[in-house]
Amino acid sequence: MQQRRNYVFLMLTFVLVMALIAGCGAGNNNNGGANKSANGTKTTGEATAEEPETKTGGEVNIYTARHYDVDADLYAKFTEQTGIKVNVVEGKAPELIEKIKREGTSTPADLFITVDGGILNTAKTAELLQPVVSEVIDAQVPAELRDKDSHWIGLSTRARVIVYAKDRVNPSELSTYEDLATDKWKGKLMVRSSTNLYNLSLLASLISINGEKEAEAWAAGIAANLARDPEGGDRDQAKAIVAGTGDVAIMNTYYVGNLAASDVEEERKVAEQIGVFFPNQQTTGTHINISGAALIKHSKNKENAIKLIEYLTAPEAQSIISKTNFEFPVNKAAELPELLKSWGEFKSQGIDFAAYGELNPKAVEIVNKVGWK
Amino acid sequence: MLPILYVLLGLFRPTNENWQIVKQYLLTDYVLGSAKLVLFTGFFAALLGVVLAWLVVGYTFPLRRFFRWALVLPLAVPPYIAAYTYSTMTSYTGFIQSTLRNQFDIKLPPGTIEIMSSKGAIFIMTLFLFPYVFMLTRTFLERQSASYIENARLLGRSRLSLFIKVVLPLSRPAIISGVMLVVFEVFSDYGVASYFGMQTVSTAIFQTWFGMYDVDSAIRLAAWLLIVIIGLFVIERFLRRNRQFNATTSQSRPLKPQQMKGIAAWGATAFCSIIFLLAFIVPLTQIIVWTTWTYHKIWRADFIDLMVNSLSGAAIATAVIMIIALLSARTARMLSSSLAYGVSRLMTAGYAIPGAIVAIGVLAVFIALDQRLSTVYEWLGKGEGALVLSLSLSMLITGYIIRFMATGYNAIESGYEKLPRVYTEASRTLGRGNTKSFFKVELPLLKGAVITGFILTIVEIMKELPLTLLLRPFNFDTLATRTYQYAIDERIYDAALPSLLLIGISLISVLLIVRLEKEK
Repeated sequence: MQQRRNYVFLMLTFVLVMALIAGCGAGNNNNGGANKSANGTKTTGEATAEEPETKTGGEVNIYTARHYDVDADLYAKFTEQTGIKVNVVEGKAPELIEKIKREGTSTPADLFITVDGGILNTAKTAELLQPVVSEVIDAQVPAELRDKDSHWIGLSTRARVIVYAKDRVNPSELSTYEDLATDKWKGKLMVRSSTNLYNLSLLASLISINGEKEAEAWAAGIAANLARDPEGGDRDQAKAIVAGTGDVAIMNTYYVGNLAASDVEEERKVAEQIGVFFPNQQTTGTHINISGAALIKHSKNKENAIKLIEYLTAPEAQSIISKTNFEFPVNKAAELPELLKSWGEFKSQGIDFAAYGELNPKAVEIVNKVGWK
Repeated sequence: MLPILYVLLGLFRPTNENWQIVKQYLLTDYVLGSAKLVLFTGFFAALLGVVLAWLVVGYTFPLRRFFRWALVLPLAVPPYIAAYTYSTMTSYTGFIQSTLRNQFDIKLPPGTIEIMSSKGAIFIMTLFLFPYVFMLTRTFLERQSASYIENARLLGRSRLSLFIKVVLPLSRPAIISGVMLVVFEVFSDYGVASYFGMQTVSTAIFQTWFGMYDVDSAIRLAAWLLIVIIGLFVIERFLRRNRQFNATTSQSRPLKPQQMKGIAAWGATAFCSIIFLLAFIVPLTQIIVWTTWTYHKIWRADFIDLMVNSLSGAAIATAVIMIIALLSARTARMLSSSLAYGVSRLMTAGYAIPGAIVAIGVLAVFIALDQRLSTVYEWLGKGEGALVLSLSLSMLITGYIIRFMATGYNAIESGYEKLPRVYTEASRTLGRGNTKSFFKVELPLLKGAVITGFILTIVEIMKELPLTLLLRPFNFDTLATRTYQYAIDERIYDAALPSLLLIGISLISVLLIVRLEKEK
């Protein structure tokens, strides 16, 4: 009995090992296959490959890293208007990119929606995307808020600004991001962890504008000026200002809006006690980041996907996004909520969002090197 | 198991320049960070779990029966939700500081309550993970220790010496199983560590992946983590090799608790109450309050679907896990070879690496499988290159099974350790077949362990997040993903409703099973 058992066990192990080897083999074939069919679609053209697919379904499949209720509401409205069903998988952007990569030509995804120009560019350079061709979109979204090859289209932007304690800091003392790294703010500055993409993209933009050396010195200055080790998210920095841990912090505009519109009285009080300052207005401009929708190369419902982007960038949807989420619309015709109006126009850095992605590894290296936690 | 091997294979892929950066800047700090967190949390969780288990089993004191199951409840609260809750509660705008400020005009200096620190992380993880140790130890002490402890009592051991000299060594397998679960959970935790800005191996893995888009290096890190974990298993087995306590009598009757009186008894009640308050009532109450603030805005009709999704996914996966765990624990026991042991360990190692890494392994295997089956799909008229398996729920369920085998397996294994082999052997000698012996003799004796394993696993799966995010099919949301959706955006108050429902469902499943246990 014992021996038979041993035998069975050995067999099982053997089968597993075989399966593993088979799995690896399949992995290799898989790459080869993906390359081949990728070339194949190029030569045979899209019409033959995709026509039978589009007939089967009035639907569009989205992988999204945006996680706002307003998005779901807009998808529902879109379905109501067009009859096109919107299927959604939410997740973290880098994970979704990995998933699309591994699914290769078979991917069910039509659109990849995320926040951060760097990530959008990463998806582009990984050759996961294709150009969006639509005159409607070209008219609705200014060229600087689209990928230069239209592989992705901006949906909304947010600015990374300086917030300050109204009772302790005079806005005239504030000027630039660079100024925050000087001794003047030693022990007074707060910002969330450098592992967060908002900070990495900010640093990437400064590398692009000021050069690597200066950007590294800047990051070191920021790390040295921190009032405390980075903790929590953007909102937590605002709260810590009011609590008196520090005087100034770097955070995104839409969090300020969300605090001001909070259901919780204490949070609204926090929003009242902080001021918002758009830095670098006299120099290189305020850092903005972008949320965008990208068309997947192997999309099977391309027309529907483009229809959805058209819908999301139209004035109506843009006003809703801006009103509920305090993001800046990409469509100039959209209506701004009062708070955003009160901040007025501002000058942004105006650099290609692709730089956030290209310089991201450098930024990661720098923050690790200078010890910005 | 394939996905885990896939991760391990990461060690053999060629390194790139990012790996050098990781090694140069991150590794030492992050390894130290993880080690510190694991050591302290493991130690405190073991201490708390064992002491509470022994109190509840060994003595009578007011509310003992209540605490016997109530102290399991903190498991229903996912540590990341507890972390958000506690940090928001103690923050400047939180309940504690704002009450002091507005009612009593007391302004706490910033940093007085500092939950977002390594101490805070240890505090949170200990409070919400100790029930693993508590539950496994309690089940074991109740069912299988009576004769030793009663003899020791007869021999006049003092309370303390009874605890140290008899209870501790005796329940070692159960304690170790429980602590292992805690240790795994801490190693793989990303939610709490990243929210508190801790530097751990797990956060390093994600920094490499999300920051540098270097999945290979991330997998390599995870593979090293796996090696460490397997090393821990080997050490643990080595330490334990000669310590087999097989019961000598055939009566496996429950232990009779000793009367505790006066201050000692009330002290025990107070101690249990404090832990119960901190680890369950306080965060729960806070979440309920927040829910009342945001309920009107957050409630959507699809919450019913979310609940069904959470529950059904977890239930299916748990059932499969328990069956596999029973079979493999039994095989490993019968064979008692090192190879069988190693394989069974590898199966449970999925618990110690971050869910997202397991997910990548599962994804790789499923897509490869779909490609293998593509001719079949074409024949079925699904079109060329269709993904069938990897777009179905089965991928997620498989992911769950791989990742959470440990909770089921450890529970069963610690049950088996206390089950003398003689029973099975006797049953077989008396002419019962192998299968029959299993159902008629072993299973009834293992009932407690099976129930424990079931609770631990189902609750654990319902709380699961990273696997669900990556492996789910379209439009499949669970309570955990909905909670994440709000929490990631720092909308803690809005996350209260899904959190509450998640805790509620976990609670109901725990209570149902506790009832089942009582009835039998």
